[in-house]
Parts: sequence; C-alpha cells; structure tokens
Amino acid sequence: MTSPSGAHLAFDDFDVLLSGDAESPLHAPAEAHLAGCNQCRAELAAQSTLIARLESLPFFSPSLAFSDLVLQRVALPDPFALRSLATSRKRLLASRRSLVAVSVVLCAVVGTMLASVMWTLANPDAVSSVGTWAGNTASQWLWVAIRGGFANIVEQPWLGTAQAWFATPLRLALLSLGITLIYVGGLVALRRLMALPRAGAAHA
Amino acid sequence: MAQREGIQGLTDQEVVALARSGAETAYRELVRRYERPIFSLVYRMVRDRELAEDLSQETFIKALNALDSYRPEYKFSSWIFKIANNAAIDQLRRRELDTLSLEGSPHAATPDAVEATALQIGSRGESALDAVASIELGGEIEKAIAQLRPEYRSCILLRHVEGYAYEEIAQILDLPLGTVKTYIHRARHELRRALEHLRQ
Repeated sequence: MTSPSGAHLAFDDFDVLLSGDAESPLHAPAEAHLAGCNQCRAELAAQSTLIARLESLPFFSPSLAFSDLVLQRVALPDPFALRSLATSRKRLLASRRSLVAVSVVLCAVVGTMLASVMWTLANPDAVSSVGTWAGNTASQWLWVAIRGGFANIVEQPWLGTAQAWFATPLRLALLSLGITLIYVGGLVALRRLMALPRAGAAHA
Repeated sequence: MAQREGIQGLTDQEVVALARSGAETAYRELVRRYERPIFSLVYRMVRDRELAEDLSQETFIKALNALDSYRPEYKFSSWIFKIANNAAIDQLRRRELDTLSLEGSPHAATPDAVEATALQIGSRGESALDAVASIELGGEIEKAIAQLRPEYRSCILLRHVEGYAYEEIAQILDLPLGTVKTYIHRARHELRRALEHLRQ
C-alpha cells in the first residue's frame, strides 16, 4: 500500500509517520513528500486527531461480582491431585528398575485383560452357562430374602396394633398425606441447601 | 496478599502455567488483567451492557476451562480477544437474524403477509441498564464507531483502543494482514466522515 512515486502518501506512509517509526525505510521519503504537499499534511493532521480521540476512549468496567461469577463456572483443577499425579509419575519414571517394574505390571494387567477377552470369545457356551447359573442363584437369594423379611414382620407383636390403627380409609389417607408432606418438606430443604449463593451475598 | 502481589509481576504465560497447576489466585489474576479490556471491546461491539457482561463472562469461562489447549507460543491476550471477538460477532449475526424475523418473513409475497408474519412487540421502556449504556456510549465518537461494520469495528478497536499491532489483529481475527490494513483504513475514513460535522 505504498504510494507510487509522485503520488500522494499511502496508508503505510501515514502509518509510519503516525507511529513515529523513524527506523522505517518509508519514513524519510514520506517526510520529504510531506514538506511539499499541503494535502498530505492536512490528511496527516486529521488522521492524527482521530487516532488521539480513539486512544483516549475509556475502558469500561463490568460489575463487581464479575470475577466471582466467572470463577463459579470454571472447573479449577485440584492442586493436590495434580501434585500427587506429578509425584507418582516422577517416582515411577525415576530409575531403570522402577521403569521395568511399571512395564511388567502394565504388561501383566494388559495381558490378563487380553487373555480374558480371548477366552470369552473362544468359549461363548461356557460364558452363557455361567451367566444363567449366576442369574438363577441371584433370583433365588432375592426371593429367600423377601420371604424372610415378610416372615419376620408377620411375627412382630406390634403388627396387629399397627393394622388396627390404619384399618379405616380416613386413617390411611392421613398417613399418606403425612408421608407426602415429609417428602416434599425434605425436597424443599435439600433444594435450599444445594442452591448457589446469590451474587450479591459475597458483598453483603 | 503477598502471593497476589507476587503474581502481578508475572507474565501471562507464567500466570497461565500457575493456573494449570491449580492455583485459584492465578485464575483470578487472569480475570483481573483482562476483564476491563475484554468487557470494553464486547460492550462497544454489542452496545448493550447486560449482554456484554454475559458475553464477557462466557469468554472467560470458555478460555479458563480450556487452558490446557492454550499454546504458550501465542500471546494469551490474542487468544482471549479472539474468543471474545468471535462471541460478539456471533451475537451480532444472531441479532441480525432476529431483526429480520421481527420485520416479517422474507418469503412473504404481499405487504399483508409481511405484516402477518412479523412478530408483534409491545412498546418497551428503556431499562436502567439501557440508560447507562446510552450515557456511556453516547459520545459522538462512540456513536460513529457504532455505525461501522462489525469487522471494521473490531479492527479499529483492537488497533487504536487496545493498542494491538496489525499482525496481532490479523491473528486474532483470522484475517490476512492486507485485509486488516484495508479495514482499518476504511474504518478511519468512515469515522472521519461521521465526525466531520464536529469540525465545522
């Protein structure tokens, strides 16, 4: 964007003059042109005024809570975890012996996992029969636990009194209402406990 | 307190390294260093204090959550200004689309159809924040900056308000150096034309 010889100054020439960069090869020719050109002198003065006005524009400040609001939503790394990780890494890679030990353990872990996957792929019937046996056993244990629980409750001496207390539909409805109220109260309390503090609270 | 004073003498790169090691004071320092320049740029781009505050917050949250992806060979300031400028430009584009839909569907064939597809909005009083904005951005030069195309506005603000070199502006805005110079040249020309009446 330099001017052809004889023409008026171009953007780059004005920029060199405005920045006062006397080292630039454009500076001396631009100064020489300026000495004999009223139009370019006027242009330079106008640009200089505009730039001075732009450079004097103030910076604006965001609200006082700005940095707190930002940091609330930034996931800060845990310095303790980072330090522990760095220390462990340093220790593990400290000597040839520790490096060999780490490699052996890694190979053992990865090898075992690979062997396990290979065996599973090679023996689908065995895997399926083990799965069926585990499912049956789990359901049997579940039923035994449920039956045991009920049998235990039925044997309790207070069961008859409790049944008599809630024998009418009105009492049953009252019980349901009470339980619902306790549940809703718990939810409200939990929500209030977990609510983030308001921005203004820090400056109160 | 002593830790905070110590951190203030560090370069951006050093503060970023500290932040990566989990020091909350380093995060606070980065916000302290750039909150005013970033907010000022965004505010002058979108001309709405509340929106500028939201966009500036988003800028910092995005940058600070992605510190691991920041490459120290670049200036931190260029990186965060790039995020802020993109956020402001995206917002202006969205606003342009909203304005279109407020004015009615561009596919409407008749004036009645245009009116029928336009959103009806009741008169909106100026909020306290709008009033602050109109005072703060009410100067002749601020008004003239607001009239510039968003690309020109970014360039001129980065160059003459934030004081960036052309090469850095090209990096921040992902534009060729020649384009940045052209935009600044045109922006200066338009500003001078807009402010001409003040000289007369």
